[in-house]
Amino acid sequence: MRQPVEVLIEKYKNNIYVIAFNVCKNAQDAEDVVQDTFIQYISSKKDFETEQHIRAWLIRVAINKAKNKNNTFFRRNTLPLEDYMETLIFESSESSELSELFETVMKLSEKYRVVIHLFYYEDYSVNEIADILKISVSNVKVRLSRGRRLLRETLKEVWENDE
Amino acid sequence: MTNREKYKQAFSAIHISDEFSLEVRKMTNTSKKQKFNRMVAVIAVCVLLAGGSTVAYAADLGGIQRTIQLWIHGNQTEATIDFNTDGSYEMEYFDSEGNAAQQGGGGVAFNADGSERPLTEEELLDLLDDPDVRYEDDGSVWIYYFDQKIDITDKFDDNICYVQISNGEETLYMTIKYQNGWSSSPNKYPSPSSFN
Repeated sequence: MRQPVEVLIEKYKNNIYVIAFNVCKNAQDAEDVVQDTFIQYISSKKDFETEQHIRAWLIRVAINKAKNKNNTFFRRNTLPLEDYMETLIFESSESSELSELFETVMKLSEKYRVVIHLFYYEDYSVNEIADILKISVSNVKVRLSRGRRLLRETLKEVWENDE
Repeated sequence: MTNREKYKQAFSAIHISDEFSLEVRKMTNTSKKQKFNRMVAVIAVCVLLAGGSTVAYAADLGGIQRTIQLWIHGNQTEATIDFNTDGSYEMEYFDSEGNAAQQGGGGVAFNADGSERPLTEEELLDLLDDPDVRYEDDGSVWIYYFDQKIDITDKFDDNICYVQISNGEETLYMTIKYQNGWSSSPNKYPSPSSFN
């Protein structure tokens, strides 16, 4: 099955942007990744089984494109993460906790960050994350466990032990 | 709130810009011609110089335009690159299907005092000589280096791959961490713990 790209953009552009930002750590590169990801969908002849299959494919492509962008020396003039964070508005009475959580996640190593994000933001299971990242289930479990532990160590009571 | 609820709230603070949809629609309209006019840093991802400076020759006006043989996804391609004084460039070439394609990019370097400066033409060309590690959607992993395309998908042991590559003049020892960057040295394999 295929879906019109306009439909997919409206549905998933922000999710793709957030995972791309999670990897790239800056807004400009993340936006480029979103654009490149949808262009790849347009140019791809791939036939998908379900919409969830499309969503997972888009996320995998975005992660790979974001990693490739990180691995190149070519970067735009980018706003430092600290400056970007000052522009964010956390709409909650617990905004300071959310800001601290955001900052702590972004300080994690990329391999932990991505797994944590797919689990807590995209609601993917360990098996699904392994499939998206093309790594073993046990590897995902290790990254998830270590990522949680690192969050707990920094965030203390803000991050509960949910293992 | 649960950890999941907190996480989602924290990351709901970031949004893609409102102009994005329009921009993609424009890209959709032009994608068949592969005219990518945005100043994005994509050249190093998919393009490698063939033969470095020995095959680069100037066909230029004022010394800023060069016609260079590039390897683009395994296809040797002649591209014309305009280098601008602000560290950006614009490149035109014909892809393997004969379609005109345009790409742009640019970069900055950091001075010792932390200030930024545009990359020079020489620096841009040097960077194009670097090997490129690509993770494809089908799960395969490839190294592109000059005219070589090396499948390293099955060469990872505990997420680490060691590969020796050569352009005929210089040998590079590459250490690649799966999905987590790579490093190379002309002398020995870099230790996985020495990078990222």
